[in-house]
Amino acid sequence: MAFLLNCPNCGQRNVYDFRFGGEVLTRPAPDASNEELTAYLYARENADGPQREWWNHSLGCRKWFVAVRDTHTNEVIETSWPPDILVSGHEASDGE
Amino acid sequence: MANSDAGDRLSPARRLSAGERLPPGEHEFIDRDVVIGFEFEGRQVAAHEGDTIGSALAAAGVDVLSRSFKYHRPRGLLCVAGNCPNCLMKVDGIPNVRTCTMAVRAGMTVGRQNAWPSVDHDAGAVLDRMDRLLPVGFYYKVFHRPKLLWKIMRPVVRRIAGLGSVDTSSDGGPTYTHRNMHTDVAVVGGGPAGMAAALAAAAAGLDVTLIDDQPVLGGHLLYDATRYTGINGTGDGTGQEIAETLRKRVAEQDGIQVLSGATAFGFYQGNLIAVHHGYEAVQLRAGQVVIATGAIEVPMQFENNDRPGVMLASGALRLARLYGVSPGKRAVVATTDDSGYSTALGLLDVGIAVEAVIDMREEPGASEAADAVRTRGVEVLAGHRVVSTSGTKRVSRVTVVAPDSSERNIKCDLVCMAGVRQPVTGLLLQQPGAVVEYDEQFGESVPAQLPGGVHVAGDITGFHDLGITLAQGAATGRQAAGIDPEGASQLDAIERDYRAGQQPPGAFTGRDGRSAKKEFICVCEDVSSKDIDVAVGEGFNDIQTLKRYTTATMGPCQGKMCHRAFVEAAARRTGQSIVATGRTTARPPAQGVPLGALAGPGHMPRKRTALDGLHRAAGAEMVELGPWLRAHNYGSPQEEALAVRERVGIIDVSTLGKLDVRGPDAGALLDRVYTHRFSNLREGRIRYGLLVGENGAIMDDGTVTRLAEDHFFVTTTTGNVDAIEDWFNWWLAGTGMEVFVTNVTSSYAAINVAGPRARATLVKLTDVDLSTDALGYMRSARGMVAGVPCIFLRIGFVGETGWELHFPSEYAEHMWRALMEAGAEFDIAPFGLEAQRILRLEKGHIIVSQDTDAVTDPLDAGMRWAVRFDKPDFIGRGGLVANRARPPEEKQKLVGFVMHDRFVPEDGQPVVEDGEPVGRVTSSRLSPTLKKGFGLAWVPEKHAYEGAEIFIRSGQTDSPAVVTMKPVYDPDGLRLRE
Repeated sequence: MAFLLNCPNCGQRNVYDFRFGGEVLTRPAPDASNEELTAYLYARENADGPQREWWNHSLGCRKWFVAVRDTHTNEVIETSWPPDILVSGHEASDGE
Repeated sequence: MANSDAGDRLSPARRLSAGERLPPGEHEFIDRDVVIGFEFEGRQVAAHEGDTIGSALAAAGVDVLSRSFKYHRPRGLLCVAGNCPNCLMKVDGIPNVRTCTMAVRAGMTVGRQNAWPSVDHDAGAVLDRMDRLLPVGFYYKVFHRPKLLWKIMRPVVRRIAGLGSVDTSSDGGPTYTHRNMHTDVAVVGGGPAGMAAALAAAAAGLDVTLIDDQPVLGGHLLYDATRYTGINGTGDGTGQEIAETLRKRVAEQDGIQVLSGATAFGFYQGNLIAVHHGYEAVQLRAGQVVIATGAIEVPMQFENNDRPGVMLASGALRLARLYGVSPGKRAVVATTDDSGYSTALGLLDVGIAVEAVIDMREEPGASEAADAVRTRGVEVLAGHRVVSTSGTKRVSRVTVVAPDSSERNIKCDLVCMAGVRQPVTGLLLQQPGAVVEYDEQFGESVPAQLPGGVHVAGDITGFHDLGITLAQGAATGRQAAGIDPEGASQLDAIERDYRAGQQPPGAFTGRDGRSAKKEFICVCEDVSSKDIDVAVGEGFNDIQTLKRYTTATMGPCQGKMCHRAFVEAAARRTGQSIVATGRTTARPPAQGVPLGALAGPGHMPRKRTALDGLHRAAGAEMVELGPWLRAHNYGSPQEEALAVRERVGIIDVSTLGKLDVRGPDAGALLDRVYTHRFSNLREGRIRYGLLVGENGAIMDDGTVTRLAEDHFFVTTTTGNVDAIEDWFNWWLAGTGMEVFVTNVTSSYAAINVAGPRARATLVKLTDVDLSTDALGYMRSARGMVAGVPCIFLRIGFVGETGWELHFPSEYAEHMWRALMEAGAEFDIAPFGLEAQRILRLEKGHIIVSQDTDAVTDPLDAGMRWAVRFDKPDFIGRGGLVANRARPPEEKQKLVGFVMHDRFVPEDGQPVVEDGEPVGRVTSSRLSPTLKKGFGLAWVPEKHAYEGAEIFIRSGQTDSPAVVTMKPVYDPDGLRLRE
């Protein structure tokens, strides 16, 4: 694994500079069923192809961002700040 | 010569002859004026400067360099290019060194391996006659009945098989470094194609890095004395002269960096090339890559094709032309194309008799070289095949079969195998998108599809013609520079012409392609054509399973010598085409690389606190904790613990993670990530904070202090702060919450002052009112101590009245000294990590990851009080709710226990019930207060009550202990509130 990622803050860097944060998931509501909770905790799409995932520029600016990566080829299709991530209980503010 | 002379350059008067040498050649590597000595199995061998170990041993008349993997057959020089396994030896303690390319250094110690008592007289050679005991896949078949037999035989087999042994008593050998490099164009391979590509790309203004595994650029031209005329751009001359011309141009051209003696072993995404270069592993990131790794000659198939004296033609010519060493006296050249005639001429030119050229094609060669060979009176046997060799430790005779099936023996001591080539695609194929296909006309598998930014040039393409090679090199160099080559169509035309004039290559199998037990396909692993037949017959007809079962291509050369023959043998036996048979998968490393080079130097940073020097001066024993070094003790942890209980102690807690959390939404963020509530925490108050994952398992703990309405000071466990900082920021990302999380771990030093005389010590240094009325338990203040601005945290991890002082770390030593001086009248003592662990254990405080594991939740750990289910949501709430619903009989609880005596069970020992383990000890120590063993343990919920009796197993003994649900020291927490 030796691809490059474009940190929205710092620019293109070696993947070793980053920490992988897993698939972008939607957090279930507080009153979700056990099944929904289990799926959120343990079930992963594990797409063979483009996947939205979290990355942290851990050896750089330490910012979290979202990348769309083709898991088959490791091609990073795009990276962006997470303005529209659906985290339960939080709306994106105007500032973002 | 005495051993003490090892390493000295020999004075002319005492100069030994460096073996028998051929007349000097103009382009040879060796300097005949310099003689150096090295030790070979106890005797001194003389070599010239520029020799490899292999060439020097050949000059000294050593034919047998190793014993084969399985049958212990004698093996000698074969490729002389660092590809085959035959010359692996132990050099200066390092096993499996390829001695045919390892330069001689004065005084080095060299020995052969994998034989007993010696390679020349190897008892293991008897295995060669016992081959029926060792069929293909024998480790699945023989020595298994009775069952006990394999237990006996396995170590024997392991000892006999294999290569050199690692010297486990050594100090680990040389230290390797890692380096990152960046380049516009990386060219792998320093032959004519690679040099032409590098020159073209650099001429276009790009930065070029040229990687070559030989000591000198030139590739196969280094030993090619063929005269070339009409080559575009280099002038007429021998291959060696053209190589020199190109080498000069590379040296003079700006922008080319050459890594010689460097192996590119890995080719990863984003055009990252891993290079092993001396004691360095280079990670080279390239914009464009030109793969010009060439093609290497591979052995032909006939019985006893592995006997010393049977060499690749290129290997024989390397030995003669680069090192002036005669590969033999009477040669037979077997060839599948015209290159064998050039080999024959090359041998004749240095005075080696050539008995015959066996041209395996039906129509013999008609080239200039073929005519020259005939003119010089060498017999040419067209349409013949080599079927076997004879000899003991060196070939003495070769048997050939004529088209009419008559057989004939020819005496010789050298057999050169010419013309069978395998493009070196092992590196290229590691790159996704690169595809190699079998080319029927060439009989070779050549690149058919390339990923973007990757180019190929030279012999790897299957075109073995110097003019085409140079044209391809220049074209790819221009392509890499983004210049659309107008020469591309021209190149196509040249390539078409070459194909039109190309004779089909001769078959290189022995007698009608019939298999034989000692006709070796894979010399590394001793796999013969017969083995392939048997394995296919047993059902292993897929190339991937066939490889794994026979282990062909899996030895040190990683298929360099055998991949082509392996695939062709499999195709022949399965009746499939070569295309349908497919290939094995290419993976890194393309060439063996020392594990030390991959590991490199240690990358783990070692952090020391600002007080590190004072701890050492006080005689502290230091211990690693995460990335930090901490004072474990200053002599006696029990004494240190008593000092805290009875007087006053100080401990350096600077390694605690510290986060400054600020902003209007700071309280909301903390409410979200912690199980506790913090938005309602009053200014100047402290609350214990517990972080859990979404599954409810404990991640970390620490304290949260509200310094101001929008400002919190958070501590985390040592070594965990980066992960917690990421965790906070992750839950902030995309929410629009206005919070800044700043890691101030190293900015602040921290010292905990604790004990009944802590207040009396501190009041001497500060104006802050430390009375319980003003600054009670779990409260904070800010003020000066010894002239240094501090945050006071009145907390009680060790269970005594105490303050954790956080302050700018540049004042750490001053603060420590001031505290020691102020406390001197109370007999203050520094205490270390171990004393702190004893003290906290007496208070029943957990240490995350010591007393908890990946599934421990706060409810089972007895910290229900730290979880606010009345918050509508927080990270991990769902997981905790689900855990809460689990039936009690499934649960374990974390409880305290006290032994009946001073016995201290070890951490991790099982709690047993009716002889079965039902729980485990997580922490245990001797209590300085109770003078008894005690600790924390996970027990079934039914035992989690005050006074329950449990049993802890230690060895064969089950020792009774009593469960306590409260801290063993100051159970009601009165002392820390004083």
